Amino acid sequence: MNYSNRLRASAMALGIVMAGTFGAAAQAKTLTISWWGYNGDKLNANIIEPFKKICGCDIVFETGNNADRLNKLKLRDGKGVDVIYLTDSFSQIGIAEGLFQKVDPAKLPNLADLYDIAKNPQGGYGPAYTIGRVGIVYDSAKVNPPITSWNDLWRADLKGAVTLPGITTTAGPMVVLQAGKNAKVDAFSDADKAFESIGKLKANVAKNYNTGSEMVNLVSTGEAKVAVTQDFTLASLKAAVPTMTWAQLSDGDIATLNTVNIPKGSENVELAYQFINFILSKEIQQIEAEQGVDAPVSTKVQLTPEQAKIWTYGADMISKLNRLDYVKLNQAKTDWIDRWNEIFSK
Amino acid sequence: MIMQTKLHPALIAIASLIFLILIAPLFIILGAAVSDTPFLTFPPQGFTLKWFSNIFQIEAFRTTAITSLQIAFLGTFLALLIGIPAAYALNRFKIRLPSWLSNVFVLPILVPEIVLGFSLMKNITIGLQLPVYTTLLLGHTLLALPYAVRVVGASLASFDFSIEEAAISLGCPPLKTFLTVVLPNISAGVVAAFILAFITSINDVSISLFLTGPGVSTLPIQILAHMEQFFDPTIASVSVLLMLLTVGVMAIVEATLGLTFLTK
Amino acid sequence: MLADRWLRNKMVKRLSPWILAGPATFLVLIFLIFPVGSTLFATLTDAKGWLAPYMAFFNSSLRRTVLMRTIEISLITTVISVVLGFIAAYVVAHVPGRLKSIMIIAAVFPLLTGVVVRSFAWLILLGKNGILNSALLSLGLIAEPFSMLYTKGAVIAAMVYLFVPLMILTLAGVLEGIPKDVVEAASSLGAKPFAVFRQVILPLAMPGLIIGAVLVFTGSFTSYATPQLLGGERQMMMGTFLYQRAMVTFDWTGASTVAAIMVVVTIAIVVLMTRLARRMNPMAA
Repeated sequence: MNYSNRLRASAMALGIVMAGTFGAAAQAKTLTISWWGYNGDKLNANIIEPFKKICGCDIVFETGNNADRLNKLKLRDGKGVDVIYLTDSFSQIGIAEGLFQKVDPAKLPNLADLYDIAKNPQGGYGPAYTIGRVGIVYDSAKVNPPITSWNDLWRADLKGAVTLPGITTTAGPMVVLQAGKNAKVDAFSDADKAFESIGKLKANVAKNYNTGSEMVNLVSTGEAKVAVTQDFTLASLKAAVPTMTWAQLSDGDIATLNTVNIPKGSENVELAYQFINFILSKEIQQIEAEQGVDAPVSTKVQLTPEQAKIWTYGADMISKLNRLDYVKLNQAKTDWIDRWNEIFSK
Repeated sequence: MIMQTKLHPALIAIASLIFLILIAPLFIILGAAVSDTPFLTFPPQGFTLKWFSNIFQIEAFRTTAITSLQIAFLGTFLALLIGIPAAYALNRFKIRLPSWLSNVFVLPILVPEIVLGFSLMKNITIGLQLPVYTTLLLGHTLLALPYAVRVVGASLASFDFSIEEAAISLGCPPLKTFLTVVLPNISAGVVAAFILAFITSINDVSISLFLTGPGVSTLPIQILAHMEQFFDPTIASVSVLLMLLTVGVMAIVEATLGLTFLTK
Repeated sequence: MLADRWLRNKMVKRLSPWILAGPATFLVLIFLIFPVGSTLFATLTDAKGWLAPYMAFFNSSLRRTVLMRTIEISLITTVISVVLGFIAAYVVAHVPGRLKSIMIIAAVFPLLTGVVVRSFAWLILLGKNGILNSALLSLGLIAEPFSMLYTKGAVIAAMVYLFVPLMILTLAGVLEGIPKDVVEAASSLGAKPFAVFRQVILPLAMPGLIIGAVLVFTGSFTSYATPQLLGGERQMMMGTFLYQRAMVTFDWTGASTVAAIMVVVTIAIVVLMTRLARRMNPMAA
């Protein structure tokens, strides 16, 4: 008997197992969705309640950040969840770990309306349902001349003024790629040069952040006046420091996608397809965008300039974004984390 | 009431300073919690209670707060239920139990929580197919156990067991002796253990990360989720609410068990 | 009563230590030692051979630096917390009822603050534009604001802030349990206050001090969020390594290796601390 079987036997024998919790047969179908858990009330009103009416099913959530939920899915060997929301860097890890099913585009008619970048971002797996970008935000009252390129991060006048995303965050590795470009190399093929450049950047760093709230606190208290960050933080930054400005970078912002995937152990695959198709529909994409929940990826969505202001929106803007090669990135990550630590933690 | 023992003025001065430093940051948190801004700031700009009402209005906060309180109360209670007898045995029967045993009860806080959570999910939730809620409760009982055994044990270490023996030899039944003679003498330790265990449980993130699952989540996890997208003072108001809750619980303890319970 | 008759049974009496300690021991055994043991056991060998994950860890000068830094910060935190906690707890144990309740509540409050808001409070107090800097500037004591954050001192201060309350709660009960007549007898026999402290109070408080110190040390050694927010990467501690391995690269062998090292080092230091404390204690011998 292996360890867990022995354990199971002894636990049963000792009566620890609570009665009645095993084998409670599911009556109505239940769709289990794994996602972050913020903005739950809007998700409920806009998506969950309408979808329940259509499918006649129950919906339960598993909440937590990307890493927690992906770790748990891996421990359960791809079971227990029918749809999983992740940022693209994490869904790429899930793909590499073999945790997701390939998606059959025929079952998602609404795919046809999406921007190309969102249709099939990761080689036959789940589509993206929203898009964002990583760029530079700076205090235009204190930073002069304005920041217009990633290379400006290295400027001498920004000593101790910058907060970078830590290497373990979504945007962290993007800084390494830009450092490579700054040293005129490809960071994937010449990590030495890229990190030499990161080493030069260190003098400008006040502190690197690990969460959005930490970054906003650093800016609002004046510890930092330049931040490399995702676009959804801009509203809070502007509220705290009205002169915070999204830099118009000549070398372009970097796209971030949030994807939805069907784990390989899903027990309600058809329902999962139905759900994914539902959230990609023009109607849902429109409501979510208007209410400030998620930027749309459906080409059919029309927003007023005022509504669109906070989003990465429109064919023009989306076509200018840089994409990151997450396959290469995930292979390099362990090494990059070590190199980053060597520079910042010694 | 009079001072039981004279305290040196220098001691009072140092202790006052310590308490002042403990309290000072709380004013900043209180200020930030009522600030009418979508970010944390101090001094507060404007005044609002909306960050407090957030907690009650957003359904996910409500349900997870209930789960967290249930788990913290039940877990702490279970830990005390099995921890106090263990603490008693460790002190009363020192020679008859191996000396390393008391250190076994430090393990739950000694093993990094992420690894404990990971191992529990792998071997207990999945390996034993236990329901999510049960494993979550067991995990939190485990977290509370070090305080139940060791903090109560510290009070028992200075207890004079000859009093207990005297009561028993006078014909008082052992269980009654424990409840009427021993327990009142270590009540301060039990209260301290309860407070520390409860707070550890209600604040826990790392173990709960792995032990929550579909349909079951805790307040700290939900707060983290909220903070992924919103940077508003809700997190400050949660801290303030927890403080109010604590004052409430303490007041109930005082009212039901008498003023002397906390202070003996 | 049946229970009492049962308790007086000879057999039960002989086994009673184990009956009482049994359920708690069982819980730790089944739900901690076995599962965590099996996780840690998996680190003993990997594709590169016996103990290879550990060789890799100790071959890196960065990892050794972080390990030593973690030990150093945790030890300093423990010593400061024990001293401050003892003083505060002593006062708490000797003030009248109502004031004591208030002090205990005040000690509990800091523990209820979330780590992000708490570190925000530190930003306001100690930051570049913080209250302390403004005060020093306006007093003319400094010419330029200086950052007190992201240093070893900042991490230690933030951890002491969290662990002094734990010490107070642990010790207040113990110090109260010290019979007043013992202290008074010693004093009335002409013992100086310091001698009373050294020979009467300290020995009686020693079990509480040891337990408190163990709780503080293990707590600081495994802490993760506080050092990250107040120390940044410059003051990285072991908890961050563990987190990076487990939650970012999904390398659970690596994470468990770090965990095993942390567990072994903590146990070693806790055992040493306990021995040292017992030796210093004149009554323990």
